[in-house]
Amino acid sequence: MSAAISIAGVTPEHDLAPGDRVQLIAMVRELAAAKRTFAFAGGGTDLDFGNAPRALDAVIRTRALNRVIEYAPEDQTITVEAGMRFGALDAVLAEAGQMLPIDVGDRAQATVGGAIATNAFGSRRHRYGSIKDLIVGVEIVRPDGTLARGGGKVVKNVAGFDLPKLMVGSLGTLGAIVSATLRVFPIARATGAIALDVPPRHSLTRALLDDRALDPMAVTWSAESGLVLTFAGLEAAVDAQCTRVVTAADAAGVRASVLDADALARVLAREREVRRRGAWRATIAHAPAAAQPLPLAERATQIAYPTLGVAIVSGEAAPFTLADVERARASANVVIHAMPGRVRGQLDAWGPPPPAFPIMRALKAQFDPHGLCNPGRFIGGL
Amino acid sequence: MIDAPVTSDLPARFAAIVGQRNAISSPSDLRTYECDGLLGLRIRPEIVVLPATTDEVAACVRLASEAGMPIVPRGAGTGLSGGALPVAGGVIVGTSRMTRILEIDLPNRRMRVQPGAINLDLSRALAPAGYYYAPDPSSQSVCTIGGNVAENSGGAHCLKYGFTVNHVVAARLVTSDGSVVDIGSWNGAADALGYDLMGVVVGSEGLLGIVTEVVVRISRVPEATRTIFATFPSTDEAGAAVSAIISNGIVPAAIEMCDALAIEAIVAATGVDWPLDVGAALLMDVDGLAIETEHTADAAIALMQRCGSLEIRAPRDAAERALMWKGRKSAFAAMGRISPNYHVQDGVIPRKDIAAVLREIAQLGRDAGLRIANVFHAGDGNLHPLVLYDAAVPGEEARAEAVAGEILRVCLRYGGSVTGEHGVGRDKACYLGEQFSADDLATMQFVRAAFDPRALFNPDKMFPTPRLCGDVPGRYVPHPLETSGDVGRG
Repeated sequence: MSAAISIAGVTPEHDLAPGDRVQLIAMVRELAAAKRTFAFAGGGTDLDFGNAPRALDAVIRTRALNRVIEYAPEDQTITVEAGMRFGALDAVLAEAGQMLPIDVGDRAQATVGGAIATNAFGSRRHRYGSIKDLIVGVEIVRPDGTLARGGGKVVKNVAGFDLPKLMVGSLGTLGAIVSATLRVFPIARATGAIALDVPPRHSLTRALLDDRALDPMAVTWSAESGLVLTFAGLEAAVDAQCTRVVTAADAAGVRASVLDADALARVLAREREVRRRGAWRATIAHAPAAAQPLPLAERATQIAYPTLGVAIVSGEAAPFTLADVERARASANVVIHAMPGRVRGQLDAWGPPPPAFPIMRALKAQFDPHGLCNPGRFIGGL
Repeated sequence: MIDAPVTSDLPARFAAIVGQRNAISSPSDLRTYECDGLLGLRIRPEIVVLPATTDEVAACVRLASEAGMPIVPRGAGTGLSGGALPVAGGVIVGTSRMTRILEIDLPNRRMRVQPGAINLDLSRALAPAGYYYAPDPSSQSVCTIGGNVAENSGGAHCLKYGFTVNHVVAARLVTSDGSVVDIGSWNGAADALGYDLMGVVVGSEGLLGIVTEVVVRISRVPEATRTIFATFPSTDEAGAAVSAIISNGIVPAAIEMCDALAIEAIVAATGVDWPLDVGAALLMDVDGLAIETEHTADAAIALMQRCGSLEIRAPRDAAERALMWKGRKSAFAAMGRISPNYHVQDGVIPRKDIAAVLREIAQLGRDAGLRIANVFHAGDGNLHPLVLYDAAVPGEEARAEAVAGEILRVCLRYGGSVTGEHGVGRDKACYLGEQFSADDLATMQFVRAAFDPRALFNPDKMFPTPRLCGDVPGRYVPHPLETSGDVGRG
């Protein structure tokens, strides 16, 4: 049994681990009937995410719901239970030469359900989109214990409202994710990467991203490696693109280095580590062409995705002042994934709610009229 | 509820908002708005308003809301599921005067448009800069972005590039009390804070509000595109080729299939020189990097040959390529050349089952004594069987409807969906209850209640109700002809 679990600093009285969906439904029903508050946990890799729940009687772990329900490689879709860990999923998909291009901080521990609830993404979003673009179906247990489905298992489907998308990034405030159907992709035959010694914003970056003869899978910037362009596809195409980048860099007087497999693996490992560690961790998202809105964070940026306009800052010391965050939130989304306990209460993890907040509050009230499900953890106290 | 008398001064009050000539209430002028692309159902609305600004839309909605009047948003009226079908006593809010492109932001790859902007006009405006708007429904030269948002429109090239929902990042929404709400990512951030309201509004078929501005993602025109046209002895071989291509990890920009009957109609209507003595044809686009496109196209051709293709052609030039795609995109209208009437169906199946499902559909047609043409998005398993009939022959129309319904049940049996892109609308509301359980539908109603607690927007659409479907919502109700024994099933 693991150590006492804590959700954004709050330790619940009960730590429940249903063995299957039937038990999960029964537990939610029982808690709902007793008007007790509850939250869900997958791999437990992002438990500090969000504000502290107002109340928390129980945490329900989905880790035993870890089966592959249906895998159709020829359809490039897979339906898995929410507690399936990425490591195990990768192994299943790799047998058919496929992969799910969602990047998480801790592949061994993180679960599919957790990634959906937190809208996890990383560098491959540049090519493949986010979970919102990959999820085609979902099963949830509503806060009242009712099992409900949205979407389906086919890749194209406009029947009914898009509940799968509604669940992405909802941080378990609308119910528990039981299973999901996701699009998967072939593993590229070849991968290659070039590191360019440039700051996060540089004219060369813009020129390369506008070049129609380049189609990177991922574009990442880090203090250690500079700008890393990763290409994936046919070997000849990967080689041609790498050569093209090196030529452009030479012409611009920028140092470029071809990363071998080990070097690329180190870059990816570093990307995961940044998203896993640190007493402080925040995601700053802004219009890609706009300047980084948090001047202090520019120095603390560990990983940035320039084409997405996303920077991840982390560290043991505060990477910004509270006033900086407030100012930045006028033009950007600054979401705190982890913060020291002493700061909780002074710093809202989400910032001011958006104009559409009344609709979000109404949604929450429809799904969870008694406010039992992860209350207060999400934006605006939802 | 809907039959309540409408306050007599309402037309004047709507006219005061949008101007006299943009408030249509004379019976003869209302005829234009009695139906959308689902031609079989016609209902006269009480009034049609054509506002020009967000404020005018909001004022119209507020007025309707105060009067308890149902509101039906309408774009170009090309929808095939009756999503823009009027509600008796209701107001149609049309976006035909809100057609402007408001802003092109190339550095952030976004574009802001009014909802009445025509889909193809976006790509036309972007072409000089080497960009385009990816979703390309066959009706793209006439359909509007607002309508695309409502229906989550697809199109041939959605196989690789995704549907409307993958390309819309923000919208200004007028909700049922007339308030104006910005949803989605207006500040350009990769994700909006909070619940993904934008993701839910796309495809909500006008039940959650009216969008008055839409921000879309724009895409760079690929370096190279190769088009391949291949013919096959039957849909079995063509279906196998599609499965082989997809399962080999090839992601074409589009793969469209036409069966013999569809080819016959397309040739008659457009003059493309496709052979008439084949069982099926595939039209495929491969795009991306030039170096990769060459290889991918060659690999796909090899797979087609292995699956028994008869002939493989590449267009000689851009004009011939355009003609091939014109042939495909005008396929529905071309049916008029081979049949007095036809019923367009839209269902989805797993891609691996295309050949098997097409055989079942053919059998349904034979049993009912009706011809069925197939022209569809094979790459994503989105079928469009066209059930041909002659309305002048007593009973044929009802038989065609029954067959079209049975086709949806075949799709569901294979684990598919009753609609891939045309929407549920009024046409398929009763089938939604066969795809989803009562609990699933009740959960979707939570979403509706959050946006529109009085269900003023597009009532009688999408959700099965006792009024539309009989006493038990969602349960199949046999057509009277079936009950009387005039029509058999299966």
